[in-house]
Amino acid sequence: MMPDFTQQGREPATTPASIPGAPVVYFHGVSKSYGRIHAVSNITLGLSGGVTGVLGMNGAGKSTLFKLLMGKLRPSSGEVKLFGVDPWKNPAPYARVGFVPEHEKMHDWMTALEFVSTFARLHGMTRKEAETEARRVLDFVGLSDVVNKEIGRFSKGMRQRTKIAHALVNDPELIILDEPLQGCDPLARTTIMNVIRELGKRGRTVLVSSHILGEIERITEQIVILHQGKLVALGNLHAIRDRLDQIPHTIRLVGDDARALAKDLLNHPAVFGLRFPSEHELLIQTYHFGELHAQLPALIVDNGHRVDIIDNPDDDLESLLTYLAGGSA
Amino acid sequence: MSDSKVPSLWRGMDRKAMAVAEFTLRQQQKRLSTWVVMLVGVAAMAVLTMFYIDAMTREYEAVDNDFDSFDWDLDGYPNGQERVYGTDVFDADSHPGLLDPPIAPDEPERWVNEDDFDWDALKEGSVGVDDDGDCNREDRTASQKDANRNGVPCDILLSVRPWDTDEYLIQSDGSVDEDPDDEAYALEAIHRSFVLAIGKLGVVFLIGIFVPLFMATGLIRNEMTSGTMHFMLAKPIARSEVFLYRMMGFLALAWAYVTVLLLLLAIVTGIFGPSEGLFRVSDLGVWMAVWWAALLALMVYGMLFCLLGVMWKHGIVLALPFAAWELGMVLITLGAPDTAILRFSVIGWAMNIVDAGALMVWSDTPLLIEMGLWGGGNAALEGAEALEVFASSPGLGLSGLATIVVSTLVMLVQAAACWLVGSALFKSKEID
Repeated sequence: MMPDFTQQGREPATTPASIPGAPVVYFHGVSKSYGRIHAVSNITLGLSGGVTGVLGMNGAGKSTLFKLLMGKLRPSSGEVKLFGVDPWKNPAPYARVGFVPEHEKMHDWMTALEFVSTFARLHGMTRKEAETEARRVLDFVGLSDVVNKEIGRFSKGMRQRTKIAHALVNDPELIILDEPLQGCDPLARTTIMNVIRELGKRGRTVLVSSHILGEIERITEQIVILHQGKLVALGNLHAIRDRLDQIPHTIRLVGDDARALAKDLLNHPAVFGLRFPSEHELLIQTYHFGELHAQLPALIVDNGHRVDIIDNPDDDLESLLTYLAGGSA
Repeated sequence: MSDSKVPSLWRGMDRKAMAVAEFTLRQQQKRLSTWVVMLVGVAAMAVLTMFYIDAMTREYEAVDNDFDSFDWDLDGYPNGQERVYGTDVFDADSHPGLLDPPIAPDEPERWVNEDDFDWDALKEGSVGVDDDGDCNREDRTASQKDANRNGVPCDILLSVRPWDTDEYLIQSDGSVDEDPDDEAYALEAIHRSFVLAIGKLGVVFLIGIFVPLFMATGLIRNEMTSGTMHFMLAKPIARSEVFLYRMMGFLALAWAYVTVLLLLLAIVTGIFGPSEGLFRVSDLGVWMAVWWAALLALMVYGMLFCLLGVMWKHGIVLALPFAAWELGMVLITLGAPDTAILRFSVIGWAMNIVDAGALMVWSDTPLLIEMGLWGGGNAALEGAEALEVFASSPGLGLSGLATIVVSTLVMLVQAAACWLVGSALFKSKEID
């Protein structure tokens, strides 16, 4: 172990690696293109504080936006600032940032504790401090029982939570989570959502991306919608919802008896159409997607139905986004 | 980037260095390929060492160059003994047994290698003693006794060739030191040849280039491809630091490996090599030079291959032609170590270090080669040609120590240049 020559222990959290008063996240006219393909184009956005959901289809540019912010990609044009500093040129602001990448590949041979504490030491912590902090964040994401288990033997949800713990170990002011819920089991989803909400309550700036509206809805009201690399909507979800409700949504249910289920749903005010693609499948059409989506579980349980899958097909979001893109462009 | 703005980046650098190096070391240890590469290296060295042990434990035919172990007249006295006492080697009725007092006959074996080299190492001028007295026989003329015309009968005139200070010229008066100990020479020459061959070609070149080829080329690239680099680069660490600290982790393993390998080789050759005692301690200086050259070679090649991996995802394709170039350079160092083109290689400098170290410890190697090739005026002795191939004089024309210092500095500069270029390339890479 390296001796602590400075005898100061951990670095103070407020390092002057930023311009005072600058927004935490700042994009000005940012475009990133690969040849003729525009991953993101002309994004202007500033964020400080609160939890912001970044919503968009796969390939909409969510990950590109985050990678630009994390200095992994260089913008083709425009200006990206993280705490007022250009992240492509200067890694110093990362002392105040936690990043959860979308990549599934991890260092499977490490235990969760080793993984989190190894990367904690890159914040300048001593081995001992890193281990203490790692245990703290692993406890925070609900993995205290398995800290000494190899990541390779973790479920998808546990891996995601380990990644989140790794990002939180420096007690960051900004946390960026790229699709943290993807592939997680319900328990992990709930835990992760709680963690994100808790971070918001503690006054951190959180950016979380998803391609599922329902997920974002359960985490935050402040959203940014990306479509084909363009920023199509920004602001409070409820304000956007009024516009969303003008187009129909589809909810797909798969269960024992689709027709019996349909009978109980037929009279619901939010439902305006039902279809049966097969014996066990039911497609519900609604203008009040959020409301119905929230009420559905209770409706199903109260009427004694068994439903295996509740799902909104991707093309549903696509139609919404196309609508929004058309509306704002 | 201004340092005043980012004090946290450089404080705690030692902690980051330890963390990344330790992480890299453990990561390498978890990979099967690491162990395969290292085991193949050990196996290859073990096979070569088998040949060496065989050569050291074999019997070498003792050649009787001057036939004085023979007994032509079958009187029981070897020719050599008869010549010393002046009796007729062709007459069975003339032998030292008839003298007064009578002399007992010698075993013929005593007259096989009876006139060994007895020169002071590196002493020029008149050397050699005619142990068996066959030069100074009465039936020989004065000009026969002083064929080299240095005014001393029955000696050898040893001089440095005026056009090449590394080579000796041997002018013998004839029948002086003409019957050397073939086995003693072969053991010494083959031992030195092996230490130089396995040290230079086996460890410094092959291990020095293949271990980094397989282990360092992907040091950064593999993580860029798999996406795991995102975890490290999301932390407040400069990419040039990542490059350097990853390299430190690689070197911790590679250096430890080559150190153990060389220790084993030094122990085995120390035990089996020809020596007065149980262990040939004198070789340790040569092994130190090999070790130092190997450490430097691993560092420069590691930095370079890591750079090539960062430059292109198929960096190994770029590394292979370079390895071929280095192989060509190795062959040149064996034959013509002072060729200027060697300055544009890594291995040329590494070989300079080994050659300089070997010459400091075994300063008589050039003479040993000439003695062996001369072989008492007959055919070359076994081992002489091998030693001539593998022993070279360092190519810089400097003293041994100066050669080592200069070559070390050059290799450090090469490594630093690779680090700087590699870091710049890494910084310019987008990571998807």
